[in-house]
Amino acid sequence: MSGAPSAVVVRPDPAAFSTDAAAALAVSRGEPDWLTDARRSRAARYLGTPWPTGSEEEWRRTPLGDLPTAAILDEGVTTEVSGLDPDSAARGVVFANLADAVRTHPDLVRRYLADATAGPATHAAFWELAHAAWTAGTFLYVPAGVRVDLVLRARTVLSRADGAAFPLTMVVAEDGAKVTLLEEFASPDGGAAWFGGMVDIRVGREAKVRYASLQLLGDGAWRVSSQRVVVGADAQVTTLNAEIGSLVTKLGLDLKMAGTGGTSRLLGVLAAGDHQRIDINSLQDLAASHTTSDLLYLSALYERARAAFYGVTRVRPEAKQTSSYQECRNLLLSPNAGAEPIPVLEIETNDILRCAHGATAGAIDPIQLFYAQTRGLSADEAERMIVRGFFERAVADIGSEPIRARVLAALAGRIGQEAA
Amino acid sequence: MALPTPNPALSQVPAGYKYGWHDSEMKPLHVMKKGLNAEIVEEISRIKGEPQWMTDRRLKAYRHFEERPLPTWGGDLGQIDFQDIYYYVTATDKAVQSWDDVPDYIRRTYDRLGIPEAEKKYLAGVGGQYDSEVVYHNIRADLEKQGVIFLGTDQALVEHEDIVREYFGSVIPANDNKLAALNTAVWSGGSFIYVPPGVHVELPLQAYFRINTENMGQFERTLIIADEGSSIHYVEGCTAPSYSTASLHSAVVEIIVKRGARVRYTTIQNWSHNVFNLVTKRAVAHEDAVMEWVDGNLGSHLTMKYPSIYLVGERAHGEVLSIAFAGSGQHQDAGGKIIHAAPNTTSLITSKSISHGTGRTSYRGLVKVYPGAKRSKSTVRCDALILSDEARSDTYPYMEIDEEEVTIGHEATVSKVGSEQLFYLMSRGLTENEAAAMIVNGFIEPIVKELPMEYAVEMNRLIQLQMEGAVG
Repeated sequence: MSGAPSAVVVRPDPAAFSTDAAAALAVSRGEPDWLTDARRSRAARYLGTPWPTGSEEEWRRTPLGDLPTAAILDEGVTTEVSGLDPDSAARGVVFANLADAVRTHPDLVRRYLADATAGPATHAAFWELAHAAWTAGTFLYVPAGVRVDLVLRARTVLSRADGAAFPLTMVVAEDGAKVTLLEEFASPDGGAAWFGGMVDIRVGREAKVRYASLQLLGDGAWRVSSQRVVVGADAQVTTLNAEIGSLVTKLGLDLKMAGTGGTSRLLGVLAAGDHQRIDINSLQDLAASHTTSDLLYLSALYERARAAFYGVTRVRPEAKQTSSYQECRNLLLSPNAGAEPIPVLEIETNDILRCAHGATAGAIDPIQLFYAQTRGLSADEAERMIVRGFFERAVADIGSEPIRARVLAALAGRIGQEAA
Repeated sequence: MALPTPNPALSQVPAGYKYGWHDSEMKPLHVMKKGLNAEIVEEISRIKGEPQWMTDRRLKAYRHFEERPLPTWGGDLGQIDFQDIYYYVTATDKAVQSWDDVPDYIRRTYDRLGIPEAEKKYLAGVGGQYDSEVVYHNIRADLEKQGVIFLGTDQALVEHEDIVREYFGSVIPANDNKLAALNTAVWSGGSFIYVPPGVHVELPLQAYFRINTENMGQFERTLIIADEGSSIHYVEGCTAPSYSTASLHSAVVEIIVKRGARVRYTTIQNWSHNVFNLVTKRAVAHEDAVMEWVDGNLGSHLTMKYPSIYLVGERAHGEVLSIAFAGSGQHQDAGGKIIHAAPNTTSLITSKSISHGTGRTSYRGLVKVYPGAKRSKSTVRCDALILSDEARSDTYPYMEIDEEEVTIGHEATVSKVGSEQLFYLMSRGLTENEAAAMIVNGFIEPIVKELPMEYAVEMNRLIQLQMEGAVG
């Protein structure tokens, strides 16, 4: 698969994309008129939405001036999906790459694409750009009451190291549905790619969704992405982001607890070395009563890696009797690594059960290291074991053994294999 | 049991607000016209008979002030009209040495505060700021004998120009931020303290500050130098008459804590509820030095204040104890900053905030660890108590860690006064107000116990006053 780039080029310049470019992309892909129109109008929205200026709290640490200029990959980016059992398919579950879903279920895709306007505030421009310029993606629809027990998998791969790709992931779990999705994103090393994938997850009443994203992009890639999760009444959601690849990652998490009694867990494991920079901003917006939202982000930083985490918990006046927690821990494994954990609370009601946060940064406790060495491990082995144990907590919390095993295996590439 | 909204009377200054009144006989002697421009800055310097270098600094700072934008974070500063403020007012021509020499009407002001009798008996030295000028100084004889210099900063500029010139602006440069620039341009009054090597000042030094001219800004400038191995505790308390139009208080406090020295700076701030209190406070702690800020913020319309400590010498230690109390219409945006710039430095930030009515408290802090500051340790602990449905509490704890061998931790909790706690205390015979006040007093106890006794008493009284009608 050679994956020649399309003629449409994106630049780190808000004005360098156009409605015509979006339409040209649709025409070259042979898409239906409604989608051509949708791309045009999303491009217009993109042009009307300001880029971050860099003075926003969420963008201070990641200036966008070095964002690569790249041609949008069309055939050069592919999404493959697997794992859907025939029984679930027969019960109406749709799981396909987005382009296929446009052909097989146009009404369904059209409805949810049209509904996906006004993305996360911090990434609003990039959200619109992705909806105008996507060329790959994942579409998952689970009808009301349908429970999919096996893990569904999607893998999106860029064939070139220097392209631009804006894959869209849409997950819709209707009332009472249950589903687990593991997505992987990968690209080759050695070039400057612009990866602008966006994830949109809607969880209906009493639905249960687990979503894991494993990011293995190439060493020159810029990831500028966001994930929006809207949680309905009495629903349960767990997301896990494993960030391993890329040169720069700027990921925005936008969680809205929209219905009474919903529960969410936001988990993250970040393993970075070299000159990697990972910058995550999160919003846990508690907008309904009796909701629970916990966040746990763990990072292990090697060499000259830096991680910033700016997380906001907002408890709205109407969100009575809520419980929320933010925890951000950073292991600094080199004298040159750095971390900026900033957990923010904005509490607008006094009727809360619990609202707290904790953040730490520091080296491995030398006593732990010493103890492991007295048991016969080398210093390196001991460090690897401790880092694995550190990550295990978040990875196990996703509650899916296949996902846990896959993420730990991928992390081994950064932190090293477990001692024999 | 839901907590009802507080008595609406508390949304403004309470009727019995003891410290809010205006002495109608008092006539400032020098009242320049409102507003600010380079001529007024020069005029202030001329009236004070300052050396040319200070005039030049003021003018340079004024240019910085003009160039810098207003901060867009924190509270809403848009209501401040910088051209509607008096930048220099003085009630007496010069500072006096003896209490008897203080003019009657000014003494009456202090009498109403209930402070000066106590000061005469107990206090080591007093620099009371009535309007923009230090009007009273009483330095105990043994302090003078020890070589401690405790003067109004204006007077220090006359008597010890070389020391002032060496340290003025060395911790907070004029272009640090817009309000520090403003202070540098128009500063007046404040305290200057120099403690010679090895001298321990046993009793806290205190100064009272008041605002007493409508729309008058207060721009005091305090400079404390604790030389090697010395120690001092400085206490600053603020009360102010209440006026309907907004007032601005924008002080700058610079502290140099030399090797092995120890400085504690305690503030109880209770500005009337129309004051914008925008203060820059910073200390530099050298090798083995200890710097402590104890910062209580009760009054004002908006306070933005983040006392900071630069730990620049090995084994330096810094602490910030911050307490904020916001009632209706108030926003306390307070916290602390610690910069670890040397190995084996340690720090502790403890913040306790209480919001009731429609009040809002924000903790905003920074812990920064520079590369090479090995084995630094820092703990940040923030607790917030929300007493009403409409109150709001925010926590913005920034951390920038650029060194591996460190232990940095932050924890925060937000809670409300539990109905079970109230019920229990009421079953023991307390009214609901008393019970809530008791819980609040327990909540802030770790900070109150760090205050000198008379301030602890005043603090508890003020909290009780603020709590009236908060629950019930």
